[in-house]
Amino acid sequence: MEEVTFKIAQESKVRKKPSFIKPWLGLKYLFKKPVTIKIPYEMTEPAKDYRGFHTLNWKTCIGCNMCGQICPARAIEMTWIEGEKRPHPKIDYGRCTFCQFCVEVCPTGALGFVESYMLTTEWKEEELQLFDWVPIPPEKFREIQEARRDWKFPVERMEFNKETGEVTYHLRDGTEFRFRILGYGLKPPAAKPAENKEAEKSAEKQE
Amino acid sequence: MIETALKVLFILLYATFVGFMFMGIIRIVTARIHRRVGPPIYQPILDTIKLLSKESNITHGFIYDFGILYAVGATILAVMFIPLGSIGVLRAYGDLILITFLLEIPMLGIMFAAMSSGNPWAGIGAQRALLTLLAIQVPLGFAVIALAEYYGTFSTYEIVMAQQISGWSIAHFPLLLAAIAYDLVLQAMFGKEPFDIMIAPGEISLGPMVEFGGKHMGLLNIQHAIALFAETLFFSNIFLGGGVVTAFSSPVLNTIAGLLVLLVKQIAVLLVATFMAAIFPRFTIDQAAKFYWKWPTIIAALGAILASL
Repeated sequence: MEEVTFKIAQESKVRKKPSFIKPWLGLKYLFKKPVTIKIPYEMTEPAKDYRGFHTLNWKTCIGCNMCGQICPARAIEMTWIEGEKRPHPKIDYGRCTFCQFCVEVCPTGALGFVESYMLTTEWKEEELQLFDWVPIPPEKFREIQEARRDWKFPVERMEFNKETGEVTYHLRDGTEFRFRILGYGLKPPAAKPAENKEAEKSAEKQE
Repeated sequence: MIETALKVLFILLYATFVGFMFMGIIRIVTARIHRRVGPPIYQPILDTIKLLSKESNITHGFIYDFGILYAVGATILAVMFIPLGSIGVLRAYGDLILITFLLEIPMLGIMFAAMSSGNPWAGIGAQRALLTLLAIQVPLGFAVIALAEYYGTFSTYEIVMAQQISGWSIAHFPLLLAAIAYDLVLQAMFGKEPFDIMIAPGEISLGPMVEFGGKHMGLLNIQHAIALFAETLFFSNIFLGGGVVTAFSSPVLNTIAGLLVLLVKQIAVLLVATFMAAIFPRFTIDQAAKFYWKWPTIIAALGAILASL
């Protein structure tokens, strides 16, 4: 059998003698500059490709639900949007772990991510809606990120009309991003109820 | 009469304010040793205001409230006895033993309050505090004896005046030994690191303080501020020559200069304590008792013997 030699450090070399004098060396940092980043006044730069919020290229997303299948937190739900042939992923940041497996697995590269990572809200229903979104296209997100460079979520306020499914993102540069959610899941939603609702609405308006 | 009342008010306000500044200094200096920036110096005042303005105040009965008032009262009384430069209300009566006793009374008050809360952590903390209190008595007693033996008096004010003639106490070898022992004892009296066994954050979740909140904790903060002031003041008075200045012709200027001199000395005492707190880890309670009955006792006893020769 082959002989194996292990290297073992002698205990006398590892063990240190207790000392009363040496702890006083800890005072040497007293007059040095503190290594602190004063956060409200100084900003930190996240690393390039820091795993932050998602972006979605709406034109190349084919709605294959690969992201929804790989998501370990089940934070992705496919959403049918008016005017789009295929469903798009809707990401719930209450569950998302930012592992970005979904970005890795996306066959067309439609799902991506940017470095922004800050999303804080108060404990209000209308503000908590911010945590659940269909990501906006990467160009738009990058533009907002470059303009401010404070790494915050690009949507200031979200309006969601439960009756009609109309969603409005009030972006931080003042523009609005509108679309209408028809339904959730992999199966296309029945078109009739929505039309009925519209008809009802128009009827109400006429009245 | 009114003059005395004004003096009392002034000493009280000055002690509280300077005590809070001391707490702020401790936090800043500790932060700098850790290479942090630390809070602004007035942070303890904001903390206390916040605690005093809490809406819910839990009480566990009469002793729980009384113990804290007792601690605050005893600390204030101790400040009144210690000569503050040339200002002093009861300084003629402030002898060493009385002040040493009054500086330990607050711990007892906190113990009463903590024990009456019925919290087991508070009980453990009280036990540890009482053992620490017991352990520091021996070196403290020897240090006080050394002083009294050397100067032939127990009166703090007379000791201060004697140092005006013969130089600071720490310049004399026997009293230097007593001062070293006393400084080690101060660490336990401040509740600072190597001997913060009774509070022991992280070990027994704040010990006696665990049950206090709101106004009780606010009052305890005020008590801690005044106690810091009183203990450093007492040390600077008996060992560092006090703050009697006679350089100016105007008594007001002399008083202000005396206060400033005292402040510098107090901050020096405080900084030594802060440094020790920042670099030494906590003792266990049996180690602390053994330590206090060993080295400080030997040093202080040696000082007392040398002083009496």
